Amino acid sequence: MSAVITPPESAATPPAGPLHQRIVWHLSRSPKRELWLAWATMLVFYNMFFPIFFIVAQVQPPPQPTWDHAMQVHWFNERHLGIPLGLGIIFAIGGMNSINNALIAYSMRRMSITRVFGYSYLIIYALSAIPGLYLLCIALIVGTLRPERNPEAIEWLYDFAFLSFDGTMGVFLIGSLIWMVAILIDKNRVFPKWFGYLNLCNALTELVVAPCWIFRRGVLAWNGQIAWWLDMVVFGVYQVTFIVMLFQMIRREDFGTGPLPDLPRKKKVAA
Amino acid sequence: MAVLADKTERARFIPGQADMWAFVLFESLVFTAYFGFYLFYRTQNPEAFLHSQAQLDLRVGVLNTLVLLLSSWSMARCVQSARAGAYQAALRDVYLTAFFGGVFLCVKVFEWARQIQLGNNFDTSDFFTYYFFLTGIHFVHLLIGFVVLGVAVYQLRSPARRSQQLVETCATYWHTVDFLWVLIFALLYVVR
Amino acid sequence: MKTAFNKRLLVVWLILAALTLSYSWIDHSLSGSLTASALVTSCVIVIALIKVRIIFREFMEVRQAPVVLCRLADAWVVLIGVALLGSYFIGTAIR
Repeated sequence: MSAVITPPESAATPPAGPLHQRIVWHLSRSPKRELWLAWATMLVFYNMFFPIFFIVAQVQPPPQPTWDHAMQVHWFNERHLGIPLGLGIIFAIGGMNSINNALIAYSMRRMSITRVFGYSYLIIYALSAIPGLYLLCIALIVGTLRPERNPEAIEWLYDFAFLSFDGTMGVFLIGSLIWMVAILIDKNRVFPKWFGYLNLCNALTELVVAPCWIFRRGVLAWNGQIAWWLDMVVFGVYQVTFIVMLFQMIRREDFGTGPLPDLPRKKKVAA
Repeated sequence: MAVLADKTERARFIPGQADMWAFVLFESLVFTAYFGFYLFYRTQNPEAFLHSQAQLDLRVGVLNTLVLLLSSWSMARCVQSARAGAYQAALRDVYLTAFFGGVFLCVKVFEWARQIQLGNNFDTSDFFTYYFFLTGIHFVHLLIGFVVLGVAVYQLRSPARRSQQLVETCATYWHTVDFLWVLIFALLYVVR
Repeated sequence: MKTAFNKRLLVVWLILAALTLSYSWIDHSLSGSLTASALVTSCVIVIALIKVRIIFREFMEVRQAPVVLCRLADAWVVLIGVALLGSYFIGTAIR
């Protein structure tokens, strides 16, 4: 039996020690620090996005499409501070989305497939932030600016905001499909195949929300049990999963071009 | 008999990729949620739902179910043939599956057209919203199924490929389209 | 061996077809009456679940799968059944 080879002293070995020391090392000296910074940015963005939308601005869950003018004006008045504050922060941090998309496109670059996939994904998602996020923010902030605005104009802004947010899922649908196909034909095993199939589940929910253009009440309205609530459950599962998947990918990354190595199992016991 | 001994000794295996099974189980939960909402709201308004439901033709639904079950039968045969190395037979079975799928597709479109002619649209009544929604999302899954069958054909055609696991994975997806329809048929056409 | 499998698959299809046609019989025996019926609904759902389980076990080959998948598939059939019947009966009770 040959002597155990001591791994050479290299900058690529994380130091043993308490967790916060290792995190600092990963973010400052590891060869993967840029990937970790991108991933951390993504985590920060989503941890701000959901509380802002649900708690600060309270624009999700969405209100009912069937409300009359009085109710809608009342809804805007209740949020006359929350919306400008919360959605203003969204404007400030919205650019973080580009880093999220870049990390996902990076995962496709690491795959054994053509670069077309990564670039298409980047382009689609770069454009999708406008209908998928900013139009809602702009319309709602405009709605809160002048409380004395004509109620019909308020109704217009109300409808425009929520329809643009929920109804423009087509771009996300195509984006999910691009990532799905990339994962399924990839030979570098960057992601497990079930994650590719989960992208299909997510893509299908984008289809399911499309009827919100037609229905103002019922399960398929923009606040309906199927079009919003059920879709949010699937979307939530998908979100958490892809954040974890990207984390695993960065851990496994070897900056090569072949199959991504699996993580070493911790339980290897020497016989 | 050698056949019996073979059966008991053959190791248990997961048909196709385990990943596809994860998808199948997850997607069937999502559909179950759709069905749950449908059944719940049906009980809130039984007369309206019954009245709308009476406009569906059960015979068309039965025909479609039998056709899709036939497609599952031929796909299961395909997997057996491929496993036994009879790739030409397996290919024929996939084409047969696609044929039955195509028949289902045509009958479904014909049924939709007929309902629309009768004045029943996506937003005519709650029942028809569910009808078009459930059959519509199932239809999308069926279309994806044709792509999946294409993958199976691609695998079976060339000796350089012919991955048994991939053929089984495709079959697993196709059978899912079938059993989802079995549930949809029962809930839309027969349930009272 | 292949013929044995093919015969089995054909028998399975015939059973599934018979169960499907039983719906025609149910519908025929109810013909004309437009009344909600918990009994009919429950039977219809149970028959559908039997068909789904047959499809799992025979067409999708769960019968020959590791025990984990067998149990999981059965659990799923039960779960779907509970969800469907639950939605129906909770809805009926609330109304």
